[in-house]
Parts: sequence; C-alpha cells; structure tokens
Amino acid sequence: MNAVATAWLPRIPAVAVLAALPLLVSDFRLGVVTEILIFGLLAASLDLLVGFSGLPSLGHATYFGVGGYAAALVARDLTGNVLAGLVVAAVVTLVVALVTGFLAVRTRGVYFLMLTLAFAQLLFSLVQTWTPVTGGSNGMSVPSVDVWPGTSLDSTGRFYLFTVVTVGLCYLLLRRLVDSPFGRSIVGIRENEARMRSVGYATLRYKLAAFTVAGVVGGLSGGLFAQYQRFISPGNVAFQISALALIMVIVGGVGTLYGPAIGAAAVILLRDELSRRYEHWELILGIVFALFVYFLPGGLGGGAQRLRSRRAPMVASHSEAAPPAITQEIDL
Amino acid sequence: MSERPVDLSRRDFLKRVGLVGAAMGVPGVLAACGGETGEEASPSPTRPTAPKGELRIGLLVPLSGTYASLGRDMQNGFRLYLDRHDGELGGHKVQVVDAETEANPEVGLRAARRLLEEERTPIVTGVVSSAVAAGVRDLFHESKRPLIVSNAGANDLTRTKRSPHIFRTSFSNWQPSFSLGEWAVEELDIEGFFIIAPDYGAGHEAAEAFRQSYVEEGRGRVISERFPPFGTTQDYQPYLSQISESGARGTFAFFSGGEAISFVQQYAQFGLKEDMPLIGPGFLTDEGVLEAQEDAALGIRTSLHYSGLLDNETNQSFVADYEEAFGTPATVFAVQSYDAAQLIDLALKDHDGDPTDGEAVSEALANVGNLDSPRGVFHLDPETHNPVQTFYIREVKEVDDGLGNVVLKDLGKYQDPGT
Amino acid sequence: MEAIVDWFNAHTVSILNGLARGLLLFTLAIGLSLIFGLMDVLNLAHGALFLIGAYVGFSLAPDGTGFAVAVAVAVAAGAALGGVLAAAIHPIRRRGHLDQALLTLGIAFILSDLSSIIWGEDFRALPPPSVLAGSTTVLGRPYPTYRVAVIGVGIALAVVVYVLFERTMLGATVRAAVSDHAMLAALGTNVEAVFGAVFAVGAALATFGGIIGAPVLGVRPGLDWDVLILALIVVVVGGLGSIKGALVGAILIGEVQSLGVALAPDVAAFVLFGAMAAVLLVRPEGLFGDVTAA
Repeated sequence: MNAVATAWLPRIPAVAVLAALPLLVSDFRLGVVTEILIFGLLAASLDLLVGFSGLPSLGHATYFGVGGYAAALVARDLTGNVLAGLVVAAVVTLVVALVTGFLAVRTRGVYFLMLTLAFAQLLFSLVQTWTPVTGGSNGMSVPSVDVWPGTSLDSTGRFYLFTVVTVGLCYLLLRRLVDSPFGRSIVGIRENEARMRSVGYATLRYKLAAFTVAGVVGGLSGGLFAQYQRFISPGNVAFQISALALIMVIVGGVGTLYGPAIGAAAVILLRDELSRRYEHWELILGIVFALFVYFLPGGLGGGAQRLRSRRAPMVASHSEAAPPAITQEIDL
Repeated sequence: MSERPVDLSRRDFLKRVGLVGAAMGVPGVLAACGGETGEEASPSPTRPTAPKGELRIGLLVPLSGTYASLGRDMQNGFRLYLDRHDGELGGHKVQVVDAETEANPEVGLRAARRLLEEERTPIVTGVVSSAVAAGVRDLFHESKRPLIVSNAGANDLTRTKRSPHIFRTSFSNWQPSFSLGEWAVEELDIEGFFIIAPDYGAGHEAAEAFRQSYVEEGRGRVISERFPPFGTTQDYQPYLSQISESGARGTFAFFSGGEAISFVQQYAQFGLKEDMPLIGPGFLTDEGVLEAQEDAALGIRTSLHYSGLLDNETNQSFVADYEEAFGTPATVFAVQSYDAAQLIDLALKDHDGDPTDGEAVSEALANVGNLDSPRGVFHLDPETHNPVQTFYIREVKEVDDGLGNVVLKDLGKYQDPGT
Repeated sequence: MEAIVDWFNAHTVSILNGLARGLLLFTLAIGLSLIFGLMDVLNLAHGALFLIGAYVGFSLAPDGTGFAVAVAVAVAAGAALGGVLAAAIHPIRRRGHLDQALLTLGIAFILSDLSSIIWGEDFRALPPPSVLAGSTTVLGRPYPTYRVAVIGVGIALAVVVYVLFERTMLGATVRAAVSDHAMLAALGTNVEAVFGAVFAVGAALATFGGIIGAPVLGVRPGLDWDVLILALIVVVVGGLGSIKGALVGAILIGEVQSLGVALAPDVAAFVLFGAMAAVLLVRPEGLFGDVTAA
C-alpha cells in the first residue's frame, strides 16, 4: 500500500528533529523529552488496552512498576548492561501480565476496572513492605547502565538517544501489531465479542494476548524509566501513575497509538510548567481532563483520525449500558 | 507568611517567562551537547544572568503531603536569617529558588535536577525526608555541588554515603534515639519497652539506635517492636492494642508531623498513657504539633537538640523574632534551616572566590567551625559533616501560654559514630 | 471454649474498632453501590466527598464544639455536591462506563486539589465533641467514647437505609429504577429526578461519613484516595447495588484492617486485595450481588 510511504514521509522531519535535539537544547530539557518519550510509550501500551481492545485498565502502573523494579534490581545486583535490564524487565512483566491477564480478561466493564486497580494496589503493598529487596518506601538507587562496558549511558544526551531508539522500536512494534489481522480481530472483539466468538474466534485468548503485549511494553517503559531516573520507589506503582497514563491516553486520543504519545507530551509539559510555579497543578489537570471527556472524547489525536476516517470516536461506548457480566466460557 | 516564597517564585517566573515559553518550541538555550550531567553544565555561559554579586540558592522542601508543615518551617527559618542579614549571605545578595519535593523521592529528584540543571543554583539546602535525601544524594555527589541537608536524618548520609559535598545542620537519626536510650537506662525505672516507629528508613534507624544504647549497652529490655506503614496509618488502634497486651511497661515512639498528632492523641484515648510512660525522639512533641495534641501530650519525655524554651540569648531572640515574623511557634526545623543559612553565610565570608565553584564552596563549608545557633553552639564533624551537638531531655508541661517542652536535663554533646 | 472467650477478650478492642471502621466505610460504600446500581456510574469522586465532609468538620468545629451544626452543614454540602455531580454526568449518560468513570476521576482530582487549596496540606486531627471525649470502659478495657458513638450511629444509619430502601414506597421506586428504568419512565415516574435524588443522598452519606470519621481517621490530603479504594473493595466484595452487601463487605474490610493488622500485621494489606481478587473470580457479582441487577 502506498499509504505506508505517505504515512512515513511526514515522519522524516520528526525523526531528524529528535536526532538533532541533543545539539539544540539543554540537558534539563532533554531530560524532559526523555521522560515524555518514556511515558508516551507507557500511554501507547495502555492505548492498546483501552482503545483497541476495549479493556480500560485502572492499574497499568502494575506493569510500569514491575518492569521498573526488575530493571533496577538487574542493574543493582547483576549487570549494568542496559539491554539485559530491559530484557529481564520484559520477561518478568510478561509473566506477571499473563497471570493477572488470565484473571482479568474474564471480567468486563467496571469489574475489569476494579480488578486491574486491585492488582496495582497489591503490587504497591508488596514493594512497600518487601524492604530487603525493594528498599521499601525509601526506594532504591539504580546504578548507571551501559550499552557495553565503557559506553555508559550516564549522560542525559546518551540516555536520550538510547530512549529514542528503544521507544521508536517499541512503537513500530505496536503499530505493526494493531495494523495486523490480530489488531483487526481485537477491535472486532471490542465491538461485538459474541459475534466474533460465534464465527470461531477464541476471544479470550485474543484479549489475553493484547493484555500481555500491553503489559510487556508497559514494563519496558518502566524499565527505561528506572534506568533513566537511576532511582525507583513505590511511587512508580502508585495509583497516580495509572491515572496519569489514562489521562495521557484520553487527552491524546483513544485508539490511535500516536495520540497517547502526544497526550504524554501535553500532560508532562503541563505538569512541569504548572508545578514549578503553582502547587496545585492537579486541579488544572483535572479540569483539562474533564473538558476532554465532554468535548473531545477522541482526544487530540482522535480528532484528526475522525476527520480522516469519519468514524465514531473509538471510545468503547455502547449506547445502552451493557451489564458487566462475567464471561463464563473457558476457551483458552 | 507562607505566601512569600510563592510570590518570589512567581516573580522569578515572570522574569524568565519568555525563555521558558520559547524553550518548548524553539530551543532558546544552547547548552553543551549531551555533556556529562552537571559537570559541564556548571560553567555554562547560559546561566540566567543575575547581576554580579547575586547568588541563587535552591531550597528543596516539601510544600504538600505529610511534611508540608516542616517544609514551611524550613522556608521560614531560612528567610528569617536572610531578613536579619539584609538578604545577604557572605556579601552576596541572595535569591531563593523554591522547589517542591513532596515526601516523594521521584518528585524530589526531579526538583533537584531542575535546581541544578535549569535554575543553576550553585548551592542547595533543605530536604525533609530521608527518602528524598537518598534519592538526590548521588546527583549532588557526582555533580560536585554542595547540598546542605537541614532535616533528613538518614544515618548513611554522613556514614557510608558521606560525600565531600553533602553537609547536615540537623541530626543523624542515631543521635536523638541513642541519647534517649542512655538516659532511659540511667534514670527511668522501667522494665521493658515497646518500640513503635513508621515502617521506613528513619523509623528503623531510630528504633535501632534506641536498641543499641538501651539494650546492648545498657542491658535494658525491649519487649517487642512494630512498624506501621508510613504516611497512610491514621488509626493506630491495632498497634495500641498490641502495646497494651505486650506486657511492656513503657513505649518508645518515633513519629513526627501529622502522625505524631494522631499517635499521641490515640495513645491517651486508649488509656495507655496512665500506665505506660511514652518517650521518643523530640519530633514526637515538636512545637509544631504540640498545640494540636493538647493535654494528651502532657508528661511525654523526649530527647532532642532543641527546645523552644532553651534558656540562651540566641534562642530567646530567635524565638521572639520568628514568632513575630511568621505568627507560628519556632520549631527545630526552622532552627536547622536557619543554621543552614548561617553555615552558607560563614563559609562564603571566608571564601572570596566564585560562589558557583562547587568544590571550593564545599571546602569552605567544611571549614566553618562553630555556629552560634539557637540550639546552642555546635560544629560540624569535619570527617562526616554531621553536627556535633548537645542533646536535651525535655518534658511536655504547661507553660505560660499553653504547652511547652521544658528542658529537664542537658545530656552533653553527641557525635555520630560515623560508621 | 474458654480459649475462644479469652481470644475475644484479648481482642475486644480490635473487634470494636473493626466495627467502627467498617461502619464508616459503609457510609461511603452504600452511596457508591447505589449510584452504580442505579445509574451504572462508577463515581470515583466519592472519596473526595468523604474528605470534604471531614474538612467541613475541621473548619466549623476545630475543637469539637459545634460538631452537630458542622455535621448538618456537611450533609447539606454533600447533597448539593451530589446534585452537581449528577448534573455533570447527565450529558454523557449515553456514553460507556469508561467515559463516566473518567469524568468522575477528573472531578475527583479537581475536588481533591480544591480541598488542599482551601484547607492546606497539613495533616489535621479533629478532636471529638467534648461530651464524647475521653474513654469508656468496655469489657474492662478503656475504649474511646467517641468510637462507641460512631458504632451506634453507624448501626442506626444502616437500619434507616435498609428500612428506607427495602420497606418504603420510595425505596421501591428506586429499586424499580435500578432494575428497569424504561419501565418506570413509561409508568410516569421522573427517572432523572430519582437519579438526581439518589446521587444527592449517596453524596450526603459520604460527607456524613467523612465528618463523623474525621476524629478517627484524621483529616489529610490523600485520605480521599485511600478511602475510595477501600470503598471500592467493599462494593466489589459485597456486590454492586446491594445494601446488605455493602454493610457486610464494609464490616469485613473494617475487621481485616483492624483485627487483621493486630493478628497478622505483615499480610493484612495482601489479605485485603487478595480477598477482593478472590471474590471477583469466584463470585464476580459479589457476595450479595444480584446477577440481574449488577
């Protein structure tokens, strides 16, 4: 499809700007951009759940936190290799996401919201109390990481470039996934699960797969964040992270993948700008959030998408509130 | 009172508004590309240029969360020193840049980065929570910028993690608890203590130091210990029940701020106060929480390096000026921050060079010698940079205008072992 | 047998306290549960209402005097806020759960931050009214009088709510609205008015819980999220839309938080969320949830 080429062309300047950024801005701002990229990835992974699979998670911080602590422990106790840290983060979140997802995808609606919230709170209690390993509420310092010995990523500029590459790759992976037949299937399941099941889809398996991929990518973003901050604490698993990620998705545009990255930029810049001179940035954030729900349910990215495809906003909306019953069949 | 710092940062913001706004779109600042964090950043020519002689100092304090009131006291203490010295430290006109840490190491680290990398404040002081201190320690150590901790008591900060660039005008967690344990052995006829402290670094360190002096060196007995979750426990009943069932005869408690209010009140409400004397590091009945604790606090004995009722001239004028300026009682946190300002002042008076030269300033800070503090004269241990200071046993009693920590005994100077 | 009696004796205070906490949670959970059962709206701003109730108490009765007036003001403020919330949700009634939950999440952020703007960031303690200050002896052990009163008020409230919803015409209307709005509307009842009323009552109960809970739980920023999460667990365990479920769930969670912490301090937090996950998996409609009403 030629559309691929046309979709790629406008991205070239964006990539060029990203690559040249270390030459242009101060370390502090480069750090902010790094943070935006990392949270953008977290938000994109959450969008795979909220936007594409119709599985609105209130506990995506679970995977961000698991990945973060896994990468932190690798750096502290095993090796300073950045890739090793990320691979372990991915593997550990894969396992956690499989187990929690196995339970969660059987529920729907509000029950799904609450179960994901419960998992995140469980993990929060765990890292808070398991002091010998996690440092408890004091958190733990993470040694600086390197690509291979001698090429340490301890400078803001280098870590930024590494983040650009990693986040870029993960984003492309997500993009491919949602454009694949699998991606179309999960959208189909979101729209009408019973029908997809009747035509022979093992819908739970699809949902679990989407949940797990979202978890792993979220875990990677958590791992990156721990390596970047060189510090991790229970704050990384707190409800606020889940809520912040959701806000990014909503502001950026549900079901677009790139929208949440824009949302991440908007939310983090807003937070940084507001919080430095005004303690009550959450108020503004809440207002912005509520306005988006009312007036721009597709978010910033969703608006553009709607213009293009003239489709209804991709929020998982069912005109009549579906009873949040549990799906009883086991077809895994 | 608490408005003032906000005003300041707002004015500060207006000055830089163009720059900041531009930075989001077109980068307005051309910093060295991807240099080593901090090290190359310091001599950068792009430092928002203050008139010569002006000095920017970062104040890293929580303005929200558990420790908000401590943060405010520290802002006030620092400000009082400036007000008394024409807004100057060591001959430099000082501009204070506030940065919010909450009690959250992540937020603290971000705020510290902003102070060093964006605001370009060559000297930073503050830090209430030990978790935040642990989070920012490497940043200051590696970028060789002086950090004067004016509260966080984590022992490590002046022990295994000590740094030539980190100073402390407050205390190590070891100090108040260890001194209290020694006193308890000698003067309290109590068979067996129950230890309770929040489940975080400082809580465990306080409990450990008390154990060390009371049990290991004093042959006293600790019946049991409990560590309730930090920052979220408001109802201490389950723990109070355990205390009353444990058979202990007294309670050692380490709490501060809002937790100290709840714990002390509930300790009385559940009827433990009559039979089991309550002792602890002095934050338990700090001047900032006494009013809210009301009569429940009467009779609690604590050890601390300060009391608002200390009978020396420096303290009396400090307390009077402080209360007049801010309308709230002078607390130990205000004193510690006041002394941080004093330390910077004395160091910069001795040091004629560039106040932004981190290593030279650290050197000067280390050589200040005695400080005339409201807590009494003290100095920093040249080895660890932790204060060597007198501790006092205080008891909560009714005084002229409400409750106060009346000094019972001068325990002499305590120096953290440093290992 | 004697061992059991001894055990109860030793843990009287913890058991009582679990009851007090549970009943406080009930005031929050009941509103959450009814609002969800009736309108399918998960009101994540419910914790903020609780906190606002507590702050009203702190503002109007900082030393315990004038507590009764403060309670009345808190309840009125809660009802008003509930009406505002219902109106805020009205335009997006036709959208999914997620949008409504997100809107209330946004509102929760707003209310939460507004409270810290108005009341500051300090942790506050609210003394009980002076008649209820001090301790009473319960089974030979001192126990704060105020908490005894909280238990009494909580039980009375539970009875009133139960009778109101299960035994009166008004309650029947509401229950009818829960199971079939369309039918009720066809019969000429103004369903929107019923929704608004339930939202107002639910919110007023939350602020009521907040103010009477303040002397027990304290008043501080962040309390809103803590109690919200607990109340969500209560509702999930008890069953959405069920009064009995909210009561049993609340007392269960209260006891886990009190007795559980006393008996097994290290695992109490896990028991809480573990119980919720287990109930969701085994009996997803909750212990007392009606499958059809959920």
